[in-house]
Amino acid sequence: MKKALALVLLAGLLAAPARAEDQPADANPRAGQDHGGHMGHAAAPSACAEAKPRCAQTAEPAFAKDGRLWLAFSVGDKVYAAASRDGGQNFDPAVVAATATGGVIDANGEARPKIVALADGTLLVSYTARPEKSYNGTISIARSTDGGKSFSAAQPLVDGAGQRFDIFLASPKGRLYAAWLDKRDAEDAAKAGKDFAGSGVAVGWSDDGGKTFTGKKILLDHSCECCRVSAALDRDGLPVFAWRHVFGTNLRDHYVAKLSADGGELLGGRVSEDEWATTCPHHGPSLAIDSAGAWHVAWFTNGKARKGLFYARSVDGGKSFSEPAKFGDDERTPSHAALLFANGGLYRVWKEFDGTTTSILAQVSRDAGKAWSAPRVVASTTGASDHPLLIEHKGAAYLSWLTHEQGYRLSPLPREQAAATTRAQAAVALTGK
Amino acid sequence: MLRKYLPLAAAAGVLLAPAGEAASAVEFKPYERGSFAELRKQHAGRPLVVHFWSVTCPPCLAELPDWAKIASERKSLDIVFVNADPDSDRPRAQSRIDKAGLSQLVQYGFADDFVERLYFEADKNWRGELPFTALIGADGSVVTVTGAMDDPLIADWLARVGK
Repeated sequence: MKKALALVLLAGLLAAPARAEDQPADANPRAGQDHGGHMGHAAAPSACAEAKPRCAQTAEPAFAKDGRLWLAFSVGDKVYAAASRDGGQNFDPAVVAATATGGVIDANGEARPKIVALADGTLLVSYTARPEKSYNGTISIARSTDGGKSFSAAQPLVDGAGQRFDIFLASPKGRLYAAWLDKRDAEDAAKAGKDFAGSGVAVGWSDDGGKTFTGKKILLDHSCECCRVSAALDRDGLPVFAWRHVFGTNLRDHYVAKLSADGGELLGGRVSEDEWATTCPHHGPSLAIDSAGAWHVAWFTNGKARKGLFYARSVDGGKSFSEPAKFGDDERTPSHAALLFANGGLYRVWKEFDGTTTSILAQVSRDAGKAWSAPRVVASTTGASDHPLLIEHKGAAYLSWLTHEQGYRLSPLPREQAAATTRAQAAVALTGK
Repeated sequence: MLRKYLPLAAAAGVLLAPAGEAASAVEFKPYERGSFAELRKQHAGRPLVVHFWSVTCPPCLAELPDWAKIASERKSLDIVFVNADPDSDRPRAQSRIDKAGLSQLVQYGFADDFVERLYFEADKNWRGELPFTALIGADGSVVTVTGAMDDPLIADWLARVGK
């Protein structure tokens, strides 16, 4: 990922001044043709069907080696890829990466078209379509080897159906990992008349730039079937995945596990015991791994043991996790946290909603999650919005966020924060274990 | 995070029966900003169940027949269903409603992209987990339940509001 965005552009972004509290850190609102003229009021649903990020419900970012920022998004039955040469302010005309025939494309906060930019310049765009049954999806991948000018016909990742919630991760050694939630075992159980909780977590990998994937087996059964999977690379280049799991009959807590070197097992453990016996939270976790190899996870629960957004880390490969530490303002419905480790900093962002305004709060930890800076509003909107995502580029951390009102924004996160710019949030735990 | 390019006509209250689904009589009224308060107003003085569900939520689908049973046994109880899917999923929602025998109930479908506000209006702590049920007493008191209908809160409430 990421390289060579003209430094001058980044400098422009980074030069955004420190802001007063609650002011959106919107350094470049609706700049360029993509974002113009849509400041209508929030109650109106999007009436926009153009091939532009702001007409989509989700936008997934990836930095290519040439410095371009790519977004994958869907509008109608098409999945698009669009590139920006100026850090997300303006986008070149979007290219159709795939057209879903006879199905609905998953494009919500949790399940969404993805894009991966490989080191050799290859772009992969994935999407899930649900053609027949309600949630029996097929994950398809389209590739571009001409710098995003055109994409190959999309190919299914797995023969048959029953896959959703895909995620991809390219290792520095050139192997591309994929993971997804897979209903095949659940369907077999149903055919045999047996009860089966949730889905399975399946992993595959490609050594030919995403043309073909091997493995593709369900390695651990009984994941929750409605929440995203998160992934990060460990120090040895092997992927680690975090997901909501079904423990016992119906406790939906979190699991973090690493792919074994032979690709045959997922090894890790349970993050916490929140005692949330529930059904479809539609609210998956986020995972980051720091340079010392500690696994950091953030999640939402509404369990008997705890409610809200929580953070914990494991320094022993998932055998144990630190005591869950709450963050976010419980009076503002904190949700959908994302974690990222970049250049010595562990960043976390999440959504808060006060009934009118959705804000993205950010914190950074310089000591691997023990102490966090005071939370700070880095963006806000009064309309519909995607989940906040984090992406690293040249060692800096950026918030990637799509809103209906402001369109797509890529906002640099401050590496350190001045206390004067922060909003006091009594409910936020500033220290971990 | 849902629905796409609703015609602006939706704002004027025209909706949105999924194209090509003339076989069913199910009509999904638009569930928008203010709809929760409007429903409470419409049903004031009577016990009301507002049940939110999605076709992508297997436990929601599994319990649809149970809701149909309650609806047939408890004729005096007002039950409103709200489908939280985008428009593109409404044909599936319709077929599920038909199949479960729920088409006689009042059906709504999310018609507002700003889902956080829809959640907030029903319960300020709701982040969109499904199924989600708001139980509103004749006196206006509200109990909300995240999760399946075997939650004791739902059974207790149903017992309390009588037959």
